[in-house]
Amino acid sequence: MLTQTTLVFAGLVVAGATAVTAQEHMALHVSGQISGGSVTLDQDALSGLPTVELVTSTVVTDGQHSFTGFLMRDLLDQLGAKGETVTAIALNDYVVEIPMADFYDFDVIAAHSMDGIPLDRDDKGPLWIVYPRDDHEALQDIRYDYRWVWQLYQLEVR
Amino acid sequence: MIRLGKPVIGLSLPLVAVIVFAILMTFSLIRMFEVENAMRVDAEQNMLWVLHQSEVAALRLTETVALAELGEVDNDALSLRFDILVSRVALLNDGPQRRFVERIGYDDELDELTAMLQAAKPMVTDFTPADGPRLRAALAPLPRQFGRAANVAMIAEWDGLGGRLEDYRDQLRQTIASLIGIMLAGGILMVTLVLALRQSHRQNDMLRRERDFSGLLISSSGEGILAVDHAGRCTLWNDAMGALLGRSTEQAVGRLLAELSGFFDVAPVRQGLQRALAGKTAQLRLQPLFQPDQENPLHVDLRFFPLRNEGETLGAILFLTDATDRYAAQQQDAQDRDRLEELVTERTRDLDNALQRERSAADLYRNFAAMVSHQFRTPLAVADSSLQRLIRRGARATPAEVTERATRARDAIDGLTRLVGSTMEAARLDAGQIGAHRVACDLNAAIQSVCARQRVAAPDRQIIASNPQHGQVLAFCDPAHAEQVLENLVSNAVKYGAYGTPVEVIPYAEDDYLYVDVCNAGKPIPLEDRAQIFDRNYRGSNSIGSAGTGVGLFIARTLARMQGGDVTLQPACETTTFRLTLPRFKSPANDT
Repeated sequence: MLTQTTLVFAGLVVAGATAVTAQEHMALHVSGQISGGSVTLDQDALSGLPTVELVTSTVVTDGQHSFTGFLMRDLLDQLGAKGETVTAIALNDYVVEIPMADFYDFDVIAAHSMDGIPLDRDDKGPLWIVYPRDDHEALQDIRYDYRWVWQLYQLEVR
Repeated sequence: MIRLGKPVIGLSLPLVAVIVFAILMTFSLIRMFEVENAMRVDAEQNMLWVLHQSEVAALRLTETVALAELGEVDNDALSLRFDILVSRVALLNDGPQRRFVERIGYDDELDELTAMLQAAKPMVTDFTPADGPRLRAALAPLPRQFGRAANVAMIAEWDGLGGRLEDYRDQLRQTIASLIGIMLAGGILMVTLVLALRQSHRQNDMLRRERDFSGLLISSSGEGILAVDHAGRCTLWNDAMGALLGRSTEQAVGRLLAELSGFFDVAPVRQGLQRALAGKTAQLRLQPLFQPDQENPLHVDLRFFPLRNEGETLGAILFLTDATDRYAAQQQDAQDRDRLEELVTERTRDLDNALQRERSAADLYRNFAAMVSHQFRTPLAVADSSLQRLIRRGARATPAEVTERATRARDAIDGLTRLVGSTMEAARLDAGQIGAHRVACDLNAAIQSVCARQRVAAPDRQIIASNPQHGQVLAFCDPAHAEQVLENLVSNAVKYGAYGTPVEVIPYAEDDYLYVDVCNAGKPIPLEDRAQIFDRNYRGSNSIGSAGTGVGLFIARTLARMQGGDVTLQPACETTTFRLTLPRFKSPANDT
């Protein structure tokens, strides 16, 4: 379940220290077929994107959780991305190729908070690609489950 | 003729096949759902990867600590590697991963590891190369523990997978068996369906042929045939019906019968149709049917039948047969019969008349001797007494006396001659040889002549002849016979009347008849005699001791009836009265 708000990321009510930690590590490198070739977006740049909320269950946690972040397509549109696939790379060098169509067929978000708590790097932060798993039966499949990249820090558009 | 058992068997096999089909299909579906549910991959199937990643993260952290000791990487890189390992442990501690760890019995180790990492965090945050050995020593057991856990996880997953695959195989085998059953049942159903289709096709062909044949029969029938539904609308109309009523099939079908021809609105036809629609048969014979532009009607026979299907009356069917020829033949027969009846009646009447005449003639001839002895006695006696007187007088007789006596004798003989002539004429009349000799006859003259003769025959008796009270007394009869009847009645009155009492003869007229009452006083006729007094040869109890043959009254009545009149005995009173009735004469200019 997705709700879009215009929350200003800086205004999130979070525990000070953790929030700082989360913000410290918030950086996303995007390269490949985008206008400008490559770009590194910090938390300020990312918080300019419209904020959405998505409620869904995951395969690695119990129950439903509310995720807050921005739509992947909003980011890609803003960067003028043109291509078929997006390679997502995590801090632990986990690499997955995601079809660009996923972001346009489904409301896939890059979440920076779960249940109102910012995602930290020593958990699944700073960014976690979250699919609206409960809203579409097609997404309840292990071939989508491996696209849920957490500790995301780099995207390559091809 | 289909045997009862055949369709039952024919139905039971596909029915069983359908039941088997449904059961097997349900069973297969249940099995497939089970397989489908079991095939949902749990997170634990990814546990080998998670533990491997954790082991890699632990190794890389250890390596990064060593490099940090050497000053080749900064604290941020160390912190990143530490965070990655912590995130792995956090993942292991979360929901389904934690439960798997507990199941393979590594939860205590995980708790210790989590606590150790929690304790090591400040050391990483404020790392100095001096902390390196201690940190490495703390991290040293981690890869081995993760490796062993991965090893156990692999075995557990493979065991689970093996079990699951075994289950899948069982379920698939059962599903395959079910599918074979379904195929067999489907095959049976297919065969049954094909057979049923072939049979249905054959029956359809037969039905079509029968329908075509029925249609041919109806259309080529010489009889007019129509069918009508409950609303009174025509549903069938053959060519013969069209020819009878001057309407084509296209014009007739779908329309109300009453609109097609007034003939169907005639009460008997309408009632016949209503009866048939109510489920009863009906029949009408020789109903007149006026065709358009035809002056003379046809005559048709109608037969109404209800049109039934499985006990329900769908409508009525009407057969119309042209019976005009039969009607004409019947009419001809009726005319012939009437003519024949008339002819028979006429012939019977002629025969009856002839018979009657024969009987009368026979009676007359039979009674001729009696008549002669009875009727001719009086004139003979008159002639005889006149001649006797002449003989007795002999020479003393004056010429005038001779003339008078001779004339009386001649008159008597003349009367006798007329009587013989009339009698013979009557006999010939009875024999049908001549017509009735009836003329206008003055009854008064006849009465006077009879009374005069009777006075001569019975000089000691008073015979009073009254004049008619009014009108001319003209009868329509044979004068000789009328005179004869009066003669008989007056002589009877003289004979049986009390001595010293007068005999009265009273004529009178009334409407179309003339009456002559002959009355005498004396002993009344006994009741037992009155009924038989006119019978031939009957002599009443009061005639004992007097001369007679008993035919006088019989002859009088017979002669009167021959004139269209009668002789009757009037009801008893102080006198005895016989009444002669004769038809009155009517001339064209008669204004009596």
